[in-house]
Amino acid sequence: MAGRAIWKGIIHFGETNVPVKLHTAVKEERIQFHLLHRTDHVRLHQQMLCAHEKIPVPAEAQTKGFEVEAGKYIIVDPAELEQTIPGSSRMIEVHEFVKSEQLDSRFLDRVYSLEADLDINAAGYNELAGALQEMSVAGLCTWTMRKRSYFGALQASGRTLRLNTLRYADEVISVQSLELQEIPVSEKELKIAGDLISQLTAPFQPQKFENEHQHRLQELIEKKARGEKVVLLRPRILQPTASDKLLQALEASLKKAA
Amino acid sequence: MAAQGIWSGTISFSLVAIPVHLVKAVQPGRVAFRSLHNTDFSPLVRRMFCPKQEKLVPPEEIVRGYEIEPDRYLAITDEELESVSPERSRTIEIVEFIDMKEVDPIYYDHPYYLVPSKGGEKAYRLLVEVMQRTNRAGLAKFVLVEREYLVAIKSTEGALTLFTLHYSEEILPDEGLAPKEGKLEAREKNRMKNSIKEMMADFDPGKYGNKHREKVMNLLQQKMTEHALVEAPAVEEEEEGEGPADLVATLENIMREVKKSR
Repeated sequence: MAGRAIWKGIIHFGETNVPVKLHTAVKEERIQFHLLHRTDHVRLHQQMLCAHEKIPVPAEAQTKGFEVEAGKYIIVDPAELEQTIPGSSRMIEVHEFVKSEQLDSRFLDRVYSLEADLDINAAGYNELAGALQEMSVAGLCTWTMRKRSYFGALQASGRTLRLNTLRYADEVISVQSLELQEIPVSEKELKIAGDLISQLTAPFQPQKFENEHQHRLQELIEKKARGEKVVLLRPRILQPTASDKLLQALEASLKKAA
Repeated sequence: MAAQGIWSGTISFSLVAIPVHLVKAVQPGRVAFRSLHNTDFSPLVRRMFCPKQEKLVPPEEIVRGYEIEPDRYLAITDEELESVSPERSRTIEIVEFIDMKEVDPIYYDHPYYLVPSKGGEKAYRLLVEVMQRTNRAGLAKFVLVEREYLVAIKSTEGALTLFTLHYSEEILPDEGLAPKEGKLEAREKNRMKNSIKEMMADFDPGKYGNKHREKVMNLLQQKMTEHALVEAPAVEEEEEGEGPADLVATLENIMREVKKSR
């Protein structure tokens, strides 16, 4: 089953209004660790210390500051910050539509599956999903949910509508800032690498991949809990392929893959 | 270089191995505030405290623990964790290539960049070029600290991007969310399509600013002109803890502007 509904809103553009409920679309389960004191295995608590006086500071003696330059702050009153919180609204406003293939994956954040809000009415949901699906487009929209402003993409997946929250443009670090070197590669290297990749290409079947590490970690925990000894293994470290051996490695790989 | 390394190791496909390191591709856009002591405006640092011995615990005495029953913990060392999947903690081995078009966006979790380490520049460039030409991505399993990730490595604007993906068992089914397929109003659907056509544009996320952050920045700007800054007392050694505020470049610029105009 889909996760529980977390918020209700109304998709709006032009003369279209579609009431929906947002459901989380992904559920992560993982083994939780805590921090322990090595000497007595007691679970540690976090404590905030004053860097100057080295004494614990309770929540009521803490204040928020914005660091303008090293060691200099503007003090901000929580009540003032509260005033910057956007007003509440149910509107999911679609501003424009883009071809789905244009969405840059670096912007994709969280996905919510949308349920038709039958408490209001179901009209328009199927038609909207159909229109988005047939046109392969995504609606870029903004909304305010739980005191936060969101930017997102409305899309159809089969018959279901989805809302994918997007990162703001200045949250994505540019490739230019990596200052990568331009290095020429030969057509021959490209050709062989291309052939190799074709040989190794398979359909995307995510269900083939299980979180094996999680299972093994569970086994390790059980083993230790029974008091058995755990064998330590060293990580495998590969020798990098030298630039002048690249073509040779590609050719050998291709032969191996064929 | 601005980018901060998260991990370093090797990415491999078949017999080719490329030394790389992993860096951030995204940064939080929230304005970062620092917690301060309200009497002397000294920043606060986070420390771990042992409630039984009633004392602060230095990092070398801290160990990861798993709760086997209420309040009973099993200590797990870094070495033990690393030996759970030793073949995957230093190597990202591409096991197959896929066509990116086949990946449902719901699988995308978090993006990173891979940058070549010394000696890996050429093979890196080759992989970038060839994946871009073929629109293929490499699939691999990769272990980072406590977790094993399924990752897709693809070419983005001349760099290799690494996306952690969700496992298919983590994707919740969405049956029953759409209303039962009654009579689909063809006229209504066409009306929507026309409306969509009129609203078509190119993807340009720069148009959408974070309104909330703008308001916070305006507030800070106003306060800068009205109030003096408070100064924290100097401390002898550099304290690790919350770390410096993750400032947004735009905000820093505004601050510089404001200071100039004072």
